[in-house]
Amino acid sequence: MESIADKLRFDPCQLPADLHLLRQEVRAFLTDELQEYSVVKRSHSWEAYDAEFSAKLGERGWLGMTLPKQYGGQGCSAFERYVVVEECLVAGAPTGFHWVADRQSGTLLTRYGNEAQKKEIIPKITAGKACFCIGMSEPNSGSDLASLRTKAEKTENGWLVNGTKIWTSQAHRADYMIALFRSDPDPDKKHAGLSQFLIDLKKTKGITPRTIENLAGGKNFNEVSFVDVELPADALIGTEGEGWKQVTEELALERSGPERYLSCFYLLRELIDVLKDCANPAILAKIGTQVAWATTLRTMSLSIASQLHAGENPTLAASVVKDLGCQFEQTLPGLAQELCDLEPTLEGHGVPYQQILGNLIQIAPSFSLRGGTPEIMRGIIAKGMGIR
Amino acid sequence: MNELQNMLHESVSRLFEDELDWDALTRYEKIEWPESLWGKIIEQGIDKVLASESSGGIEASWSDAYPVLRACGRYTVPLPVSEAILGQWVARQSGAELPEGIPGLLTQGFSIKESKFSLNKSIVPWGSRCSYYMAIHDSELFILEAQKQEVANQNNLGRDPRDRISGEARILDRFPTNLDNDSLLYLGALVRSIQIGGASAAALDLAVKYASDREQFGRSLAKFQAIQHHLADLAGLVASVDAIAIAACARLDRSGITDNQRNARFEIAAAKCRASEAVEKITRLSHQIHGAIGFTYEYGLHFLTRRMWAWRTEYGGVAYWGEELGKLAVENGGNEIWPIITA
Repeated sequence: MESIADKLRFDPCQLPADLHLLRQEVRAFLTDELQEYSVVKRSHSWEAYDAEFSAKLGERGWLGMTLPKQYGGQGCSAFERYVVVEECLVAGAPTGFHWVADRQSGTLLTRYGNEAQKKEIIPKITAGKACFCIGMSEPNSGSDLASLRTKAEKTENGWLVNGTKIWTSQAHRADYMIALFRSDPDPDKKHAGLSQFLIDLKKTKGITPRTIENLAGGKNFNEVSFVDVELPADALIGTEGEGWKQVTEELALERSGPERYLSCFYLLRELIDVLKDCANPAILAKIGTQVAWATTLRTMSLSIASQLHAGENPTLAASVVKDLGCQFEQTLPGLAQELCDLEPTLEGHGVPYQQILGNLIQIAPSFSLRGGTPEIMRGIIAKGMGIR
Repeated sequence: MNELQNMLHESVSRLFEDELDWDALTRYEKIEWPESLWGKIIEQGIDKVLASESSGGIEASWSDAYPVLRACGRYTVPLPVSEAILGQWVARQSGAELPEGIPGLLTQGFSIKESKFSLNKSIVPWGSRCSYYMAIHDSELFILEAQKQEVANQNNLGRDPRDRISGEARILDRFPTNLDNDSLLYLGALVRSIQIGGASAAALDLAVKYASDREQFGRSLAKFQAIQHHLADLAGLVASVDAIAIAACARLDRSGITDNQRNARFEIAAAKCRASEAVEKITRLSHQIHGAIGFTYEYGLHFLTRRMWAWRTEYGGVAYWGEELGKLAVENGGNEIWPIITA
């Protein structure tokens, strides 16, 4: 009677009823705030950088919601944060400034940061005044993250860092980076030689970000070089040599959220409107299957939120949702193009639907690259099933 | 799972596992009607899990019945257990007592004129074995006599009877109900979604076991990355089918299927649409991982996959439920789709 599928149960989660009010409040706020935003900006969603918007969310108490009150967090449940996040994503709110800080850096610092780091930084995160970036990938270490080479050598006063990070979103304008470096060069310690560091990008010398333009003309990610960068001893986060374990936990946060299926939801909304007079059953059925997919993924994503809330570690389930969610969001622009011959356009031309489509068709290839590829996800799932 | 769900899951799974090995499934689909298994199902009250206490049931919720219905899919039970279970729930909702025996659910192919029911090639699961028929029309639940009609025997791809019934059916009883005319269709779609989840999970288990046991090029198939990725892909699809089906059950328990503005109809449509869509890839991958052996009658993967191909369309498939959801989407407009999903 043992069944693999039992390891992949997604028990339904019903959000506490009073969160309905919070949802209405967030919706009203976003409707108001986003009126002036271009549709293309809205379709960029969590990659669109807007410090002013983030500060407004912070004022409302909608950032760092789950972080402890003693450091200026809201002490809310994971569900309250979940509601705010999914509403922002669906509305196409520009959350890029605070995204990383709110999703993972705040939690990581709460768990592993020292007292001074927490006191100084967490209040900035909750206020929407701290932009974080993630220093993980390197030119020669992508999916094989643990092969990274940027080294942090212990010195009398702290650490000396040399190397290069790449695909670091927002590094050219972020306030902080949390980076994974090799703190022990022993080749036998591939994983055990890694440690995490907090870097104040505004105050640290020797760090040079070079923006990499993406195929759509976007300038979000960077190659970041570290030349003889001196970090203080207390830049170390958590325990020396425990970086891999800490990063794995961080990646669980990075991979489990609703942004892993909602990237194109804004397009689905527009597509539905474009097809409002459609009476073709086959086209309607295609729309319907996307609605069914979105509903299914939302159920699964919410179930993960509740597993996280219950203190469980849903690594396997989160990998499944990321893999499925990515298939959904990555195929949606192509499907939209098949269902309707309105051509995709560049920003500023055509109706809003065309501009959104034009943008998303171009950036969709990145959906299955960021945060771990489907190939990596499937490896994790296979391991969870006991066949790897 | 709560205690009741665990108990139901274990007792029902044990019964089906004991009773439905390859030999039995083969015998039942080729030679005989599983009389003794049906007797045990009745004896254990499995058909009455959703029935009212006055009808001898335990008045369980759909979430509680979910493991039972899923087991019907997982073990490819060649009997109208899910039909009987949902029939009892319909009776309970309508304050009705059902006759003994197997109910035939009428969801299409019938018309009513001056209180006379005419069946016209109505597709009824196990139709020729039914003791009575159930139909809902204009806020009334009708119990109809299952006798004297013309029966054209027909099986679906799973070799389960889907007989075509024609002729007049006498009304045995009628009860006022708050259920809609299409409630039986929705409930049928829900139980098939759950069964597809169960059958998919069984196919996944077989695929994992086969890939682990079978060796080629000096190692087990499961050690090949291409096969691992097939299995991971398969597991994700199975999980998606289960997840939305169980969510639909929870919604049905919470909000009913009619008497609430935001009832379970949306989730049920989504569940059947998702399950039916997923069947294509689930069956394709299961067979691909198994290679030629899975294509043989002797191996038995087909008990699962043939049924999934049939269940895919029964009580509406991707075309029907997709269109329903598509219409709902365009009628309400893009801005409303998210509020509908999150309501």
